[in-house]
Parts: sequence; structure tokens; C-alpha cells
Amino acid sequence: MNYNFGVLSVSVTVGGGTITKVSIATLSDGGNFRSQSIDQMAIPQLEQQAMAAQSASIQGVSGASYTSAGFELSLQDALKTLGFK
Amino acid sequence: MSTAGSRDPRPTTFRHREEVMGTIVTLDFFDDRGISSDELRPFLDNAVATLHHADKVFSTWKPDSPISRLRRGDITLGEAPVEVTEVLDRCKVAREMTRGWFDPWSLPGGVDPTGYVKGWAAQRAIDELAGSEVEGVMVNAAGDIASFGGPDSASPFRVGILNPASPKTLACALDLRGAIATSGTYERGEHLINPFTGELATKLASASVTGPDLGLSDALATALVVGGDEVLELIDELNDYEALAIGYDGTMKWTSEFPLSP
Repeated sequence: MNYNFGVLSVSVTVGGGTITKVSIATLSDGGNFRSQSIDQMAIPQLEQQAMAAQSASIQGVSGASYTSAGFELSLQDALKTLGFK
Repeated sequence: MSTAGSRDPRPTTFRHREEVMGTIVTLDFFDDRGISSDELRPFLDNAVATLHHADKVFSTWKPDSPISRLRRGDITLGEAPVEVTEVLDRCKVAREMTRGWFDPWSLPGGVDPTGYVKGWAAQRAIDELAGSEVEGVMVNAAGDIASFGGPDSASPFRVGILNPASPKTLACALDLRGAIATSGTYERGEHLINPFTGELATKLASASVTGPDLGLSDALATALVVGGDEVLELIDELNDYEALAIGYDGTMKWTSEFPLSP
């Protein structure tokens, strides 16, 4: 998955028909300094966002999320591969 | 995206994702009477068109956009689309409200209203959707949310705020009525320049502002993360807006009527 500052791929763990874990499988940004500093903060939070979206008690998550586009597209690809949606 | 056209008798949600403004904007529809995507379609089409129009006019990444041409001095404000004047007028109001802590004119490369436009566009998209009969809608533009209604006819939306210090957790949740914007150190750096010093410096790890309008919420959140306590006090004096600040040490502060959810 190409996003603004590098290449991102997402791994999804599925158990009992629901997502149990979302994590960043590989991340390559060509050593871009700004991208690295953003990734350190943003990617764990995007993992959280993906999990929180499954929570029955919360309908949305507010936060700064620079790489969300790349992450979500990659997540969709992973889910499609697994036969979701 | 494809969905069934028939009504589902159970509480249902319908989600549309739109790639626009350099991110993915998520539009979530809620209705405990069931949702027909066919009924929503004309409203959704208008909302999505609004987002793309804002991107076309205000993208600083596209060299031929009106805002880019204005920044280069190729056109005057009078020659730009009327929305540019509207947005810059609103930015001036936000600059005065924050006593200069939100200042799109202080950024390098000429006036850059990007920090206001994403929220403004999502708010306009919500306004397009208000004509539909759906009970609740959230438009989430990469963490900034405009909404009306709730997940059903009786409840407000419950929204989490990401914890910048502990990435696997949420810092808290709130009952959302209207909009919420969050700015943080992990956001695009050019929004987070101290207008008084020109330095890339923030006093807070995360700042969230909730109120009726997402454009202004976004501007206030940007001002708060850069300006800290002084801006928190300014927001506390506003009638319709509430704020929550998270410091680098994890300390949370919020204005008197911030709608924290247990």
C-alpha cells in the first residue's frame, strides 16, 4: 500500500468471525525523517482506531491521524483477502 | 460501494467511505428504523460533491487550485470563488477569538486555511445530509467529526478521544452533540506552528474541541494545542464550545461543561 510518505501494509487477525488484532506488518518510508516521527505516533493510534470502531459502545473516534488514508485502504485490502465484505 | 436497497427492520448502520482531501472521509448513517441506501443516495451524492468541491478550491497541494493561485498572487481575492472569501472571513473571526493563536496568515508560503477547511467541508457535508430523514449521521474526516442526531432516536453519539501517551487506549469518551476536532503532535506539522514565534512547538500532546460547528472547532483545537492554558481559558468563556486538553505528562484538563461520558 503506497501512502503519502512511504509503503504501508497491514496484517489482520481474525477469530470467530470478528477482527481480533490489527497490526502494521511492514513499514517502509525510505528514511524520511518527518514520516518516521509521524509513524511512531500515528500508526499505533490507527491500530486502536480500527479496534475501537468495533466497540458496541463507541460510534466514532476523534484524534489526529495523518496516515489514516493509507491505513484504511490497506485494512480493506486485508479484509477483502480474508473474505470479509 | 454496494449495499442492499431494502429496509432492514433491525437497527442498522450504513457506511460510505470517500477518498478526498488527502484522506478518507467516512460517512456513517444510523437509524433504528432501518436505512434504505436508495433513500439516502441523493443526499449522500450532494454531501460527497461538497467535499470534492472544497478539495478542488482549497487544496494547497494542487498548483492550479484557486487557493494555490491566490497564494502565488496569480489571482486576487475578488477573482477567487466566493467560498474563499467566506472561509478567510471565518478564519479571521477564529483568529480574533483565539487572540492570534490560530492564524493561517502566519504560516510560511502565504495564507493557508487548510487547518479550517477540512472541518468546514465536513460541516457543509453534514448540512447537506440534514435534509434526509435519517436519525443520526457522523462525517469523520481523519479524526475530526461533524454530526447530527445519534445512533438511535433516544441517545447521543458516544465518541472516544485517542490517548496520545498510550496508543493502545482511548483517553476518554464524550457524548457528542454536533462536532469534535482533535489536534495533536502527530498531525501535520504545518498546522502546529506557533504564530508568535514561527517555531514548530506545541504546549499539549492533544487538544479536542467540541461545539456546533466543525470548522471553528478545528481552528480552536489547533489554537489550543499550540497555545495551551491561555487558549483553554478563552474557550471556557465561549458559550457553545468546550475543550479537553491532554498534556505531555498525561494530565487532562477540560472546560467546565465538557460532556465527558462515564
